[in-house]
Amino acid sequence: MSRPEPILAGRGLTKRFGGLVAVRDVDLDVQAGEIFGLIGPNGAGKSTLFRLIAGIMRPSAGEVLFAGKRISGRPTSTICRLGVVATHQIVRPFKNLSVVDNVMVGAFFGRVPRPAQQRARELALEALETCGLRDRADTAASTLNLAGQKRLEIARALATDPDVLLLDEVLAGLNPTETDRTLELVRAINVSGVTIVIVEHNLRAIRGVCSRLAVLDEGRKIAEGSPDDVLRDPKVVEAYLGSAAHA
Amino acid sequence: MYRLIALGVVVLGFLIFPIVAPHAEYELDVLFLMFLYGAMATSWNVLGGFTGQVSFGHAAFLGIGAYATALLAAAGWPLWATFPAGGLLAALYSLLIGPPAFRLRGPYFAIATIGIGEATRLIALNWSSLTGGASGVTLSAAPPVTVQYYVSLGICAATVGAAAWIKRSRFGYALAAVRSDPDAAETLGVNTTIAKTQALFISAFMLGVAGGAYAMHYLYVSPDSTFGFSTSISLVIMPIIGGIGTIFGPLLGAAIFTALREQLEANPFLAKYSLDLSVFGLLLCGIVLFEPRGLLGIFDRLIRRGASRTRKDSVRE
Ligand SMILES: Nc1ncnc2c1ncn2[C@@H]1O[C@H](COP(=O)(O)OP(=O)(O)OP(=O)(O)O)[C@@H](O)[C@H]1O
Ligand SMILES: [Mg+2]
Repeated sequence: MSRPEPILAGRGLTKRFGGLVAVRDVDLDVQAGEIFGLIGPNGAGKSTLFRLIAGIMRPSAGEVLFAGKRISGRPTSTICRLGVVATHQIVRPFKNLSVVDNVMVGAFFGRVPRPAQQRARELALEALETCGLRDRADTAASTLNLAGQKRLEIARALATDPDVLLLDEVLAGLNPTETDRTLELVRAINVSGVTIVIVEHNLRAIRGVCSRLAVLDEGRKIAEGSPDDVLRDPKVVEAYLGSAAHA
Repeated sequence: MYRLIALGVVVLGFLIFPIVAPHAEYELDVLFLMFLYGAMATSWNVLGGFTGQVSFGHAAFLGIGAYATALLAAAGWPLWATFPAGGLLAALYSLLIGPPAFRLRGPYFAIATIGIGEATRLIALNWSSLTGGASGVTLSAAPPVTVQYYVSLGICAATVGAAAWIKRSRFGYALAAVRSDPDAAETLGVNTTIAKTQALFISAFMLGVAGGAYAMHYLYVSPDSTFGFSTSISLVIMPIIGGIGTIFGPLLGAAIFTALREQLEANPFLAKYSLDLSVFGLLLCGIVLFEPRGLLGIFDRLIRRGASRTRKDSVRE
């Protein structure tokens, strides 16, 4: 099996919290340009795995490679500047800033080196345009509804000009229309050249959007492959669909 | 635009005041203090307001600046040269204490800064070969009142100008993000430790310079007067009364603080039971509970209410 070198790779990633092993010896290969899905029951360790990749937490064992270079152990801000950025499962807008100022933080401190004020604002407005928030640019971030705040999370991350974007349950809590709009947004961002890793509970949504899928259960990776194969895998049905039963 | 014009008029007024009223020594003295305290409150606000790192130990930097000016002037330095030197010393000192203190967050950081402030006072008290211990350092002669006035006005204008520039800059965005949510800031590429350290450095430098003006005015520095905890507290009180994190809030707070303190100290009853500071304590509680945006926030509400009333009136007509 000769694949091109993955843009993002996990090697033996493990995270322990005291006695609990939240992520257990996980290997991960994400190819440049794909939308890679990560699913698993509640508490499976998906968000923790994201935190290990983005440098928000340090792995207890194992390492993360970005474009072949080790990034684990480096500060989160450095990892962002290298081109790997994560959104938060629980939205965390800068509540006392306007929508565009929120996004400008990403533009100012992301991969574009020290943009001027005007340039940062342009980048921010572009990201807001992509995410359908352009007309809310000058309102306070705290006035957005949940769907808006989730899109603000994406816009902020996008403004850092990432190579790899980690999306943690950006569909949770959205109604069907909002879900479809956000899925379209995810596809559009991907088409513009950003590799995406997405954690999601909505299997119908993830099946439609992902090229490949991995399943976590109790911190272990129990399956990986094309969405159709994975979702048919008896182990996955047992661990995941068995309890959730809504494929 | 109107704001800029109004600001220009006010500054111009302050500039020509000593020329128009050269013998108004009392007024010049009060204005001197307002400018000085305005600069001090603005310095604190860069770290406490913009960056959200509330320090109860900032007297340390004022004290270092004040001692630097007193000692260097005694060593024969020209007065003007002692000001930046004091700022630089205060800023260098901040590099020593910032990194360990910033490992702590929120209330833990605030408590640590109380310790830092007190430790600095004790150093000044006990390093008597340098600082003269409890008896402090006396300066020989103060410049004329008008010169002092302009020095203080200049320091205040420079400090406020720098703060306003920082707030709108790329660095200001980092500080605002740190204040709002340091973890989210970090995921967006802001190195929060560096941002906080830089904010403290700038804040300490500004306060060190202001300390020089303090020494020049009072001609006497001692551990209790400059490094005292009550000085640290007044640095917290002024920006919060006026409007924390804003540009004009700390100036407003400083003006009210200076004017009110004068009255309170003159009141025999309050002075007898040393209750003058507790009035500020009550004011502070009221602000924190009812309008965290301070007096500027209250003005803002009044203006909005006024505006909506005129709108209603014009609808009725
Ligand atoms: N900081 C922490 N300290 C201790 N335990 C933690 C911490 N973070 C996560 N855990 C535990 O690790 C396990 C995995 O949590 P994680 O949030 O990664 O799951 P998840 O797959 O994202 O779940 P969900 O679908 O509910 O978001 C859980 O048992 C959780 O309680
Ligand atoms: Mg999660």
